[in-house]
Amino acid sequence: MSTSDRTFRAAAAVVGAANTPFLKRGTATSSALKLALRAILDAADDAGVDAHDIDGFVSYANDDNEGLAVGAALGVKEIRWSSMVWGGGGGGVAAAVNTAAAAIASGQAETVCVYRGLSEADAGRQSYSKGHIGPLYGAHGVFAPAQICALRTQRLLEVDGVPREALAALVAAAYHHAQNNPDAVAYGRPLSAEVYADSRIISEPLRLYDCSRENDAAGAVIVTSADRARGLRQKPAYVLSGVQGSGPAWTESVENENPYSSAGFHPALVARLWEGAGVEPGEVDVTQVYENFSGPAVASLIDVGLVPPGAEAGRVMQLENLIAPHGALPLNTAGGNIAEGFVHGFGLIVEAVRQIRGTSPNPVPGADVSLLLGGPMAPLVSATLFGSEATV
Amino acid sequence: MTETRFPDVPDDLAEVVDRHGRAVAALDNETVLADFRKDRIGQLLGSARPPDGLHAAELLSIEPGPDSLYTAHIRYTGAGGAQAVFRSRWIAMDGTWRVTQVRNVPDTPPVTPFAEPSADGLDTPHWAGLAQRELRIQHCPACGEWIWSPRPICPSCHHDELEWPSVDPTGTVYAWTRTWQPFHPSATGHLPYVVVAVELPAAGNRRVVGVLLDGDGADVRIGQHVTAEFDHSADAAAYPLLRWRLS
Repeated sequence: MSTSDRTFRAAAAVVGAANTPFLKRGTATSSALKLALRAILDAADDAGVDAHDIDGFVSYANDDNEGLAVGAALGVKEIRWSSMVWGGGGGGVAAAVNTAAAAIASGQAETVCVYRGLSEADAGRQSYSKGHIGPLYGAHGVFAPAQICALRTQRLLEVDGVPREALAALVAAAYHHAQNNPDAVAYGRPLSAEVYADSRIISEPLRLYDCSRENDAAGAVIVTSADRARGLRQKPAYVLSGVQGSGPAWTESVENENPYSSAGFHPALVARLWEGAGVEPGEVDVTQVYENFSGPAVASLIDVGLVPPGAEAGRVMQLENLIAPHGALPLNTAGGNIAEGFVHGFGLIVEAVRQIRGTSPNPVPGADVSLLLGGPMAPLVSATLFGSEATV
Repeated sequence: MTETRFPDVPDDLAEVVDRHGRAVAALDNETVLADFRKDRIGQLLGSARPPDGLHAAELLSIEPGPDSLYTAHIRYTGAGGAQAVFRSRWIAMDGTWRVTQVRNVPDTPPVTPFAEPSADGLDTPHWAGLAQRELRIQHCPACGEWIWSPRPICPSCHHDELEWPSVDPTGTVYAWTRTWQPFHPSATGHLPYVVVAVELPAAGNRRVVGVLLDGDGADVRIGQHVTAEFDHSADAAAYPLLRWRLS
């Protein structure tokens, strides 16, 4: 289809990106706000923009610090845009970037900051699922996202026939990539197949290493108009397309979501992702896929058409395919939520941008199209396709 | 002597298990923790619940299996004679024996503090139904849609007077998970336990979540038939809970 009539495509770009160090959860002495401010200042510095000039703020996953408070703390000149993506968990990670890009594409703001901070010092445990696990779960011993994703992953394996090894390969790729990333929590701590397979069961079929970490940290990216981006110091990572949402019979349904073993990227949403960018799945150079747990991440890749469904998934989900620089489907190239660190997937945004710049710890040579997938098996899912100058 | 009591068990294992039980009863945490597999201490500590006022241990049995593990049963006695039996599973590791699993037996489902209507009250008729030993699922009298989880109005035709018929509480396992991690204190003493999502043919194949009774060691498969039981094991003031059993 023609994309020339779409005003969103490449109207905005990420020009600054930063994470604070991924601290063990519960160890940060700063509040989530202070961590977020540090990340925002670093991202602004990375972009070469004055943080006082940020005029929009976007966050997701019910971040405790609203844009107005963040803007006041930074002493910005004016706030033109402040919004929160609804939906718990990592489903909003790409949607937050898309929202910033939409604000810019529509002229509502010029320099928008997307941020997320987590510090158990003020947010407590499990802030990622607050308000999403009600009595129809809790009465029956279902307390955590791990158990919900385990139920769905079990069906993915037992009925759809996705091999267990597909999950293992995704985890192995994350740990492999983390060994080149000094900022990763798992840096210097490679994971053998034996240790993975023998790790404690959290909720069958998920074992310890199938689960994301939890960290105290923050991340921020600066999004601005394409015109302004070209004059700044970093290679712009253009937002080619962005989607968010949930299909019919999907969201907040206490295990009545359909199709049940999907990650939630329904066909109409997936079509808009590719058509909005004018990109085919085969043109994706590198992918950052949100792994709250390994099973939902594999389901995401199946949903968007990067991996075939069922038993065939095992053919693509092989370690050598999933690693940079030469794999056919390199993913989570900084280690992801599983091996780099967890701030509700913010590290995945930063890494998707680094791949376009060529500054990833595991660069994919000549990466022009970089995919970010957020969600999965959560009430909300979202995705962003980033492109280099060559794609514009 | 332990050698004669447990003929199919290595002597050193019998000694370690016997000493472990006595250390648990003596609240000798240092010794107890040293017996646990290092990479699962937190999970093991949160899995089993001893009686209050714990003071005595009696080693009941040790036998080989499953697989290369050994299984021990130890009965602990607390204040007022309250008792609990722990089943521990032991693995040869680091030149000694370590606990790799532990649970209370018999297997009982968790009773949590969340068994009550949601704050918005949408599911209140469901809970009221449970008190009458009925499984009530939301239904639209106008278009016939079965609705779960409950909604304020019918998502299909937008009729806003919904009904709550009692439906046949039988179905099939649509998905299942056996949870080992102590995510909440109320799970301790019941781990691991199996949660099933049950598809209800009597309610348009809507699915409800519940604990599978006797899930310990059960070979659970998607598609198996299950029947509900109304569990009154919590105190009388609480709502009964729908539990499921393979049928």
